[in-house]
Amino acid sequence: MSTNEKIRFDAIVVGAGLAGSAAAMVMARAGLNVALIERGRKPGGKNYFGGAIYTHAIQEVLPDFMERRPPFERPVTEAGFWFLSSDGGLTKMMTSGGKLANEPADAYMALRATFDLWWAEQAQKEGAFLIPKTTVTDFIRAEDGRVIGVITDRPDGELYAPVVIICEGVNNLLTQKLGLISHDLVPAHQALAFKQVLSLPMETINARFGLPDAQHGVAASVLGDISLGLPGMGFIYTNKTTISVGLGVMLETLIEYRLKPYEVLQRYLQHPAIAPLVEGGQLLEYGGHLIPEGGWREMPKLYTGGAMVAGDAASMVNALHWEGTNMAIIAGKVAGETAVVAHQRGDFSEQTLARYEEQLREGFILRDMKQYRNFSKFLDTHPQFMDVYPSFLNDALGNFFSAYGKPKRQLFKEIYGSLTGRRPLFKAVGDIISMGRAVLGW
Amino acid sequence: MFHALVAVKQVPDTTNIRIDPETGNLVREGVPAIMNPYDAHALAEAIRWKRQLGGKVTVVSMGPPNFVVTIREAIEMGADRGVLVSDRKFAGADTLATSYVLAETIQAIHEEDPIDVVFFGKQAIDGDTAQVGPGVAVRMGLPIVTYVVKIRELDLERRRIVAERKTERWTEVIELPLPALLTCEKEIAEIPFAPLPDLIRSLRYDPEMWTMSGPLEFDKGQVGVRGSPTIVFKMGTPPLPEAGEKIDAREVGVAEAVKQTFAKADAAGILDTVLGGAR
Repeated sequence: MSTNEKIRFDAIVVGAGLAGSAAAMVMARAGLNVALIERGRKPGGKNYFGGAIYTHAIQEVLPDFMERRPPFERPVTEAGFWFLSSDGGLTKMMTSGGKLANEPADAYMALRATFDLWWAEQAQKEGAFLIPKTTVTDFIRAEDGRVIGVITDRPDGELYAPVVIICEGVNNLLTQKLGLISHDLVPAHQALAFKQVLSLPMETINARFGLPDAQHGVAASVLGDISLGLPGMGFIYTNKTTISVGLGVMLETLIEYRLKPYEVLQRYLQHPAIAPLVEGGQLLEYGGHLIPEGGWREMPKLYTGGAMVAGDAASMVNALHWEGTNMAIIAGKVAGETAVVAHQRGDFSEQTLARYEEQLREGFILRDMKQYRNFSKFLDTHPQFMDVYPSFLNDALGNFFSAYGKPKRQLFKEIYGSLTGRRPLFKAVGDIISMGRAVLGW
Repeated sequence: MFHALVAVKQVPDTTNIRIDPETGNLVREGVPAIMNPYDAHALAEAIRWKRQLGGKVTVVSMGPPNFVVTIREAIEMGADRGVLVSDRKFAGADTLATSYVLAETIQAIHEEDPIDVVFFGKQAIDGDTAQVGPGVAVRMGLPIVTYVVKIRELDLERRRIVAERKTERWTEVIELPLPALLTCEKEIAEIPFAPLPDLIRSLRYDPEMWTMSGPLEFDKGQVGVRGSPTIVFKMGTPPLPEAGEKIDAREVGVAEAVKQTFAKADAAGILDTVLGGAR
């Protein structure tokens, strides 16, 4: 039943992920007729992360989010770093209480298949029109090149709107098609994250992680032996009755060393400090996803006439801080607000949509992205942070808290020796300085 | 103008289903619901003819309110109208009660807007009974062909349809007068990728809900548990068949292999069956 009438909306969002549904929510709330196009059967069906999700961003879009019963797993009440050494050692640097005791929590463990579905439902409740099972393949352009609609993979699949927000995720084919970035994905700038979701009884998880109940949870970044000394970081998250455990390794590294993700993951799960935590867990899920870790330098131009880009498609990820979901939500919101402004002005030109980037510059996203612009390169050139220092930390603390009946002066010498044996002092000092520079953006 | 009616059922995706080893029941939790695949292929065929001849396709389903999803999917595929017959009193229906409710519903639609062909899937993948289609045909007094793999001809002027029916050994070609009822195999048509306007219409579509309180009057004694004489005594998984025994004719010789095979069949008490097949 195809008609010749064009299908028109006030705005089109490509991708019902965290950025897309946030954008749709904001625009629908402002009264725009919004099409939210998702290629999966359901929102979240194609998405994957570690993971924990930060509430500050959700709250900015949806102040009463807790009353809408988000499908969170446990709150993050304990967070920090675990350093693994190759001889089975584990040093934990964890924090709990204080800010982590806030209610609602600053972050919650979640699974994307349920969370994204709920998030898109909130957009639908505001009036956004979700179109699933449909992939956007190209744009409809006006004579002046402005985007005025999208073409989908379905017969008679054209949709028209004066503004399109592209939240297509890491595989940003549409962003490339618009010429907002000049090249395809590069393995050097993509991390492949993979994980297992293991089912265990709630009480077992509580006991193994020292948690009083399911209203407490651990989120740990795991460094050291797990990634074979290669640039990569592991994670372990406690859900209600599952554990998400996995790691991210740069794609280029996996290719260069011919590593199979499941072998790396198996090795990680067999580490003497990790194995007892996951023992007996029933495998519910095994999956992986690319993470755009190219940072600031790999960000596309964020807007053009009639279109804006947000989330992973725009490389909005801060690898060190596990941030990405929050940036996606805030960027989606700001893009949505910009579309609303454009509608008020009746002007969807590049000049009007520039507001999107201006707003992002004032917030944390573009400031952080710029500050951390050297960080992924830093990890590439400083693999010692992945093996030397975690092992040293385990040795040093092991020595410090042991009594051998030796004078302490000798103990400190041994600790010092266990560092300089691995890395000369001047290089270690240099490493600390370059890490500081990479983080502070000097 | 062609008017096809397609009966569809929503079923758990049995490719993903488990049987609880203790209770013998299907574990439906977390199993996605889909349109019964045979129904989907029958619907695709109905829509193909509609596109060829002009006209419309009506879908009917009986089930709980969440079956709306399947009606919408039918609209997405190109159906024009959807009727969901839904009432708590219909719960627990077996094939007899189901065919009663569907026959009454389809008859009412037929009287209001004459139907040329009623399509069913050959069976539903959750029950595998293949009884509801024939049950409806009998109640409505329609000629029926089951296991249809192809419609050769559909002639609205001469009021006839020619269908190919698959049997185990051959294909039967059957001509019958319209209106007629067909139950279909998957081969009957490929499921096409729906055009965007149909998808959008389906997402906004609210099917007509027919209940015990109207627009039809159903006989209370013939619906739901009361109208269902079927009693399920026990459900379970059959034991896996044991691996067969191999007699290698290259080792023992053909004559000996045949002799041994018949001796085994005789010992197992199935010699008559084996010979019967050969007769």
